[in-house]
Amino acid sequence: MITLLRFIIFVIPISLISFLYFFINDNDYYPGADFKVSDMPAFELNSLYENSVVNNLDLEGSYLINVWASWCITCRIEHGFLVQLNSQNIPIIGLNYKDERNDAIEWLGKYKDPYRLIIHDYSGSLALDLGVTGAPETFLIKNGKIIAHFSGEVNKRVWGDVFAPVIKKEKVVWNDQI
Amino acid sequence: MIKYSFLTLLLFSNFIMPESLYNFENAADEKRFYSLIKEIRCPKCTSGSLASSNAPVSIDIKNKIIELIKDGKSDKEIKEYIASRFGSSVLYNPGFNQDTYILWIAPFVILLIALSTYIFRRKV
Repeated sequence: MITLLRFIIFVIPISLISFLYFFINDNDYYPGADFKVSDMPAFELNSLYENSVVNNLDLEGSYLINVWASWCITCRIEHGFLVQLNSQNIPIIGLNYKDERNDAIEWLGKYKDPYRLIIHDYSGSLALDLGVTGAPETFLIKNGKIIAHFSGEVNKRVWGDVFAPVIKKEKVVWNDQI
Repeated sequence: MIKYSFLTLLLFSNFIMPESLYNFENAADEKRFYSLIKEIRCPKCTSGSLASSNAPVSIDIKNKIIELIKDGKSDKEIKEYIASRFGSSVLYNPGFNQDTYILWIAPFVILLIALSTYIFRRKV
């Protein structure tokens, strides 16, 4: 009887710990990353340069959306990596977040423009629908679905840890028409 | 004379006629709004409600809540709208669901184990 009791004393905590480890532990967890699949929200906003209207139906296939602003310091740090991605023929759509048009254009002139198209979201309406909490944030979209979302600076390490596995798994083919 | 002219000026100034920050159609909507912003966390803050925050994203969410209230959405629908965008962690009371059931049930399970071991021990 005593041996059974001793056995139980070990078994209960071990089973509890392993239960918590296997059922509550989130294996996909990566700080800032979100892999919940959701629909790309509908929008109709002006583009930054030409002032022409862009809506969600204009954007097909797979592409990245990068939320940035000229007032955002981390965006400046991230910028070099985005230029690198653009040179690898990955289409990035800029979402200019709560920014003055002239400041944004000046910022792009001063550095380099890694974006195929820039949406000017002065009020932050599309950003709110996307669940943006602040710049920079990057979304991976495939056929109208958001398949990955990262809040914070995208660099080589984040690209390798967050985006590259999803791109491989979902067999993403970039839209070169944008 | 100068004193009185200042007082008269003050009478017509903005300070004496304050306008509320948000406008509502009726008092019930206003009450709902202020209770909702206390129940929803600011997604940009470590732990603070929307009511306590003036972060740009909180201001946007508050304006969106007003818009949704005007559209006749229920509290539940508004919370779902925000949770679907910013994650269920924005709700101070996420309720009983598949992510939280362990938290709700675990104390009773542990109590049951403790109670059964106690009863079991008495028999030894």
